[in-house]
Amino acid sequence: MMKVTTKDSLAAWLDELTRSYTLIAPKAVGKQILYKPVEASSQIIFDFAKADLPAKEYFLPATQLILAIERGQDSIELREPSLQEERVIFALRPCDARALRVLDALFLEEEPIDPYYAQRRERSTLIGLACSEMGEECFCTSLGLAPDDASDVDLMLMEVEEGYGVEVVTEKGKAILRHLILEEVEGSPPKPILRQGKVPILETEAWPHCFEGVYWARLADRCLSCRLCTYVCPTCRCFDVRDYETANGDIERLRAWDSCLAEAYRRIAGGYNPRPTKVERLRNRFYCKFCYYPKDFGPIACVGCGRCIAKCPVNVDIVEVLDSVAVL
Amino acid sequence: MARAQRCCAPTRHSLTSLLVVSLLSVRLWRILVATDFEPRIIGFLCRWCSYPGADLAGTSRIIYPPSLRTIRVPCSGRIDPLFVLKAFQDGADGVMVLGCHPGDCHYVEGNYHARRRYALMHRLLEYAGIEGERLLVEWVSAAEGGRFAEMVGGFTDQVRELGPWGGRRIERAYSS
Amino acid sequence: MNERIRAKARELLESGQVSCFIGYQEGTRGKVRPAFVYEPQDVERLIWDERCTYNLAVYLHQFNTPPKRGEQPPRVGVLVKPCDSRSLNLLLHEEQIQRERIYIVGLTCQGVKVNGKLQERCQRCSERVPLIYDLLVGEEPKTVGQENYADVATLEGMPPGERLAFWAREFDRCIRCYACRQACPACYCVECVAEQLDPPWMGIAIDLPQKQFFHLMRAYHLAGRCSGCNACEEACPMNIPLSLLNRKIAKEVEALFGYRTGQDAETPPPLATFKKEEELPL
Repeated sequence: MMKVTTKDSLAAWLDELTRSYTLIAPKAVGKQILYKPVEASSQIIFDFAKADLPAKEYFLPATQLILAIERGQDSIELREPSLQEERVIFALRPCDARALRVLDALFLEEEPIDPYYAQRRERSTLIGLACSEMGEECFCTSLGLAPDDASDVDLMLMEVEEGYGVEVVTEKGKAILRHLILEEVEGSPPKPILRQGKVPILETEAWPHCFEGVYWARLADRCLSCRLCTYVCPTCRCFDVRDYETANGDIERLRAWDSCLAEAYRRIAGGYNPRPTKVERLRNRFYCKFCYYPKDFGPIACVGCGRCIAKCPVNVDIVEVLDSVAVL
Repeated sequence: MARAQRCCAPTRHSLTSLLVVSLLSVRLWRILVATDFEPRIIGFLCRWCSYPGADLAGTSRIIYPPSLRTIRVPCSGRIDPLFVLKAFQDGADGVMVLGCHPGDCHYVEGNYHARRRYALMHRLLEYAGIEGERLLVEWVSAAEGGRFAEMVGGFTDQVRELGPWGGRRIERAYSS
Repeated sequence: MNERIRAKARELLESGQVSCFIGYQEGTRGKVRPAFVYEPQDVERLIWDERCTYNLAVYLHQFNTPPKRGEQPPRVGVLVKPCDSRSLNLLLHEEQIQRERIYIVGLTCQGVKVNGKLQERCQRCSERVPLIYDLLVGEEPKTVGQENYADVATLEGMPPGERLAFWAREFDRCIRCYACRQACPACYCVECVAEQLDPPWMGIAIDLPQKQFFHLMRAYHLAGRCSGCNACEEACPMNIPLSLLNRKIAKEVEALFGYRTGQDAETPPPLATFKKEEELPL
């Protein structure tokens, strides 16, 4: 038995949601599909494989004002902006949802808790959309995920004959289900079509053995240090924080995305840079994901979404790297 | 020489650059914005010709609109086209780039370079949606006080008619 | 053509004339990737077909530094298409690479394809033979295109407000990843204006004013230096039509100064020089 809803009922319900929530859903922007706030369900793209960018920017914005220091006549006020709205993120793929759990391990489960991230997590309800088949570059199953894994969302939708199957996962998800017309039918949702073969994921403890060696230099030969892999990745989270004076004398503290692949990223006062060339930086990217992050925080910082594979201009393929490292 | 042109570091780190960039954001907001639109104009004037020209307008008591804020640079060749871009970003509605007449540059060649750069920059700005009429590039000598004042007056009127430049988001939309 | 390229690469590596040969090879998932061949026996990796869109001149910068202090920088062999050869001429003129340190294998080209589609820039390309090479590989080109800047003209024809909205829409998608800059052979500044913190030209914010500034600034810095290889637009993960910006500048440079990038390694780019007597519309 499963609960289903028709496409029209779903659309009507989403329209209803826009009244009380900011609805963020896949939208066509130029030739791309991106998660954007929508005003009506008609703006949503329901039939898509994977959005070009993950929904990470709604939890870790590309640029975020974290403190404003305002000068009044005789006073100085510190203002911490706060997210005013409640959001619903619709059609999140299981990989992108798992990525949020990966980020939670750093931002929420370690002191000090990141209040900006925490607030955004709290004020968001996640509606997942299971994948009917794994994409060309996907390898989520090699990382213990599945294309219909519902453990990281509040509500899970699956494409079925009648429309969409609906699974309630958390109380938060149940709470927003109020106006959705559901019907109980026989059967269960179709299993997603998986890709053959698993990508070998080397255990955390084994990575240090592969650190030296000419493999990384040869891999980095073609790397442009363009950094786009870290920006399209749902689990990459590095940022920079700087203060800027605005034109009217106030000070804004901004937090913005940064990337470990940038030359200046690890440069420290005095000019020393422990990762001076792109060889060290590219190697670090893989080590951070599969060795350092799991060692320090628990989960592997990769969900197998394959965006880096699709977008890398010089075909640095993380699956190929994992295959190679397994036999190094 | 060709290579020096491309070697960015020395000019970018210079004190003048730092001064110019910080002056731009501060000066633009100090101009009172009344209920009718008063354009914010930034003028880059070279120290040897156009700035004395402006000075002459002042000492001769020739009145020109106060919406112009001047930034004095050593030479029109020093005016990095990026200053113009930054001026528009930080709130200018119009930008003036004034130098010595070609042939009269104190540093001999500076304004020849400026001439080429601004011919190109003008077209790029136009293409990017900043109307060509918002950038004025002219040659003003130290003796042309009256001409300077007339120029500023005309340009201010022109920019006032065009209205505030719509491509700038003063209100930063930082959150997602 | 593959055989000739491999034979030459093998010869160069075996004789020690170069320590690395830069070309193309098969990648994963049917893609092509840049190849770096250090050993003569590995030259079998090298291929050349219409999927080879990359401008390999960008990799010459990394071979400028000697492996150890006191040693000479390595000599490299590089494969160039006609558009890439113009980047080479630019880099030679700007003394970023030395002619004696590179061995250039030039390829005649009928166009390259992205996802099976012939690139637009190839359809209007008027050069099918590289402008600089030590060895020329390939047959006489059959067709030659003609540059007409039609897409630039369409944008020029829009009213300013619409044009502003067009670019705002495009730049809004930008994530300031700098893939365009990194893929460009002409962008080799050690510290880019965009990343300078002192003075704070742009700051770290990934916001529309900064993105607009970055793209206009980069386009301007490429005036008279951009060879039209399109590596920037291809690298962009957000499909921003950067070639529309760069080609506008190329069009104006041609109209104002009669100059096309990279025709030879001697003529300076127009913004690096001047003429005392010239009338330019300001």
